Amino acid sequence: MVDRRSILKIGAATVAGALVKMPVFARNQSLTRAHVAFHRAVFDERFAECREFAAELHSAGVFPSAIRGDVAGLWYEDLRAHLRDTHLPAAGLTDRAALFCLEELARDVSMRVIFRADHLIDQNGQTKHTAVGPESLVAIASNLPRDAGFGRAVAVLFSQFDSNEPRDMAAQKRTGPFSPENKTALVSWLIA
Amino acid sequence: MVLPSNVSEADFNAVLGEFRSAVGPSWVFSSDEDVALYRDSYSINWGEPEERVASAAVAPAKVEEVQQIVRIANRYRIPLYPISTGRNLTYGGSAPNMRGSVVVDLKRMNRILEVDEKRAFALVEPGVSYFDLYNHIRERNLKLMLDVPDPGWGSPMGNSLDHGAGYTMAAFRDHFASHCGMEVVTPDGELIRTGMGAVPNADSWQDFHYGAGPTVDGLFAQSNFGIVTKMGFWLMPMPEAFLSGSVTVPRHQDLEALVGEVSYLEDSGLTGMPQYGSPVGQAAFGPGAAAMASLMQNGWPSAEAIENFVAAQKRPAWSVQLYFYGPEETVRATWQAAKRRIGKAIAGATFQDGEFLTLPIPKEKEPAQSDKPRLGIPALEVFNMVARNAGNANDPSDGHADLFVTIPRKASALFESARVLYETYKELGLPARGNPFPTPFTYYSRCFWTGTTVPTWRDPEKNARSRAIFEKVINRCAEHGWVGYRTSPAFQDLLISKYSFNNHSLLRFQEKLKDSIDPNGIISPGRYGIWPASMRKSRA
Repeated sequence: MVDRRSILKIGAATVAGALVKMPVFARNQSLTRAHVAFHRAVFDERFAECREFAAELHSAGVFPSAIRGDVAGLWYEDLRAHLRDTHLPAAGLTDRAALFCLEELARDVSMRVIFRADHLIDQNGQTKHTAVGPESLVAIASNLPRDAGFGRAVAVLFSQFDSNEPRDMAAQKRTGPFSPENKTALVSWLIA
Repeated sequence: MVLPSNVSEADFNAVLGEFRSAVGPSWVFSSDEDVALYRDSYSINWGEPEERVASAAVAPAKVEEVQQIVRIANRYRIPLYPISTGRNLTYGGSAPNMRGSVVVDLKRMNRILEVDEKRAFALVEPGVSYFDLYNHIRERNLKLMLDVPDPGWGSPMGNSLDHGAGYTMAAFRDHFASHCGMEVVTPDGELIRTGMGAVPNADSWQDFHYGAGPTVDGLFAQSNFGIVTKMGFWLMPMPEAFLSGSVTVPRHQDLEALVGEVSYLEDSGLTGMPQYGSPVGQAAFGPGAAAMASLMQNGWPSAEAIENFVAAQKRPAWSVQLYFYGPEETVRATWQAAKRRIGKAIAGATFQDGEFLTLPIPKEKEPAQSDKPRLGIPALEVFNMVARNAGNANDPSDGHADLFVTIPRKASALFESARVLYETYKELGLPARGNPFPTPFTYYSRCFWTGTTVPTWRDPEKNARSRAIFEKVINRCAEHGWVGYRTSPAFQDLLISKYSFNNHSLLRFQEKLKDSIDPNGIISPGRYGIWPASMRKSRA
């Protein structure tokens, strides 16, 4: 598991570069002006995009939690109790199976997926993004970069999340845990 | 908002108000987005009028609140559907059996009431998950091993009441059989305790399950006669050691003898759950694919053709992994005895020593264990293991519906069921499914399960195709006496219709009980085919 210390190292090394590479829509957004107090940034440390997502949010003061596929330890020994107490939103960039489990588990604390963007990475490294959730986030997500680096962009995108924006149910229970065999299927999400 | 059938919106709002008074306003969920949390993620009717969605949910924190909910529901004739954790995917998950029911979510009743190390039992409430109980035991260094299902996010109570099973010794992996004592709120709001729990001041509720007189515990499993609010379980004393060993046998015809020897070991309490495999069958997913296609090109092959095929593949026809729990001296000696017996019974059998572990596994070493459930460690890794597979290709399904049918514990029955499933898929015009190398599920030690899985989707047209396959398989298997032990709500009526001895006398008896115990039909109408009189359909 990546601990807090290693995330700090990753963050220090990557934040400046991330902003330079950020697409136009996000370049002017400051990571320090995260509107929402996310309780946690959950990321799957097996994937570079996820690591960069976590580093970016960590630089904005969000505590990162690493998983390697299985969310059980994180949920039962940590996140469940904190979300039950605070009901603060959690952000994540994981694989589909992890989100699927967290979405089912979040019912225990009466929380739900309010935004999700599926990122299907093909064998050439090109990514197709499909987002559902609050209109403002979906609009920005449609311009996420198709090549490497979208993890950082998603982190910036989430810093624009307005918890007062009207929600719908479009992001709830969108898919099962399964992914295409020959693509990498990542998903960024907000649970609130 | 979906309403319960035959209930006006005004009455329903009144009910919700009374529920709020009973449990507190924060614990009644009626908004669309809250109720949507209870949809069955693997529903085979997703988005269709037949999808079994709730009208609302209510989450009591204590038994008295459950009693109040039941009494309110009786007054208004509101169907209730209790769930413990509601994560039994492929069997309905958190969604009710009948559209419009109010889910009684028992997640707040999550106390581990007692764990006794010396007497090796636990007494828990419905909302306690396997993870919770496991962590409780580990944090206190209690020398007890859980038997967990996979995934382990369900509850001991819910899993056992749905006849779920685990992976260790037979006495513990049949989760309902290893329960001892339950507390139940009956449909009229009465509170009963079974076994020694019915004796005031008895301290043996989790020591002796029968008490005296008829045992009624089974009425509350896969049924709708009450809401179980406490349940005791016998646990396995933590073994000192764990040892695995693998066996292969060369010929196709050797499976019958192998099953006989393994069954002897299991029935004698010497081994845990065996895991059968077929090296030849497994190769068909890789280098042996073309050869297997050739074998199957003219339909189901003869016994002679199968044996010739196995010989040509130069791989063993069958394998079985054996697992031993106990003191080191015992597990090593038992493995030696297993090798001696199987070696004597089957010419050409080979043996390979497997993993040896001292137990309990230290916490820091848990993540590295590849087969956690066999060590009593709950996990959710199974979702990652199956998330990407060849079956999903580029169009992954959203879930699946499983049909495990019970067959006799013998190779001939396994072969026959594989042939019937193969031909059923062929009749449906579907791609070939199966070959002469099926491997059985051995969750319940005295029988084999075999069967099929169909994908479920967010797409109604694809779901319609899956339902057609599933129903055909249920019907075809039943012609041979092979019927499932559980299924998703969409197929429970069909499944139960196959238990039809003497003009469905078993179901008719259950219906008489239902009419007497729950005359308003408020608890889980339709669960496993048991409908209240007012909703009962005519039976062909």
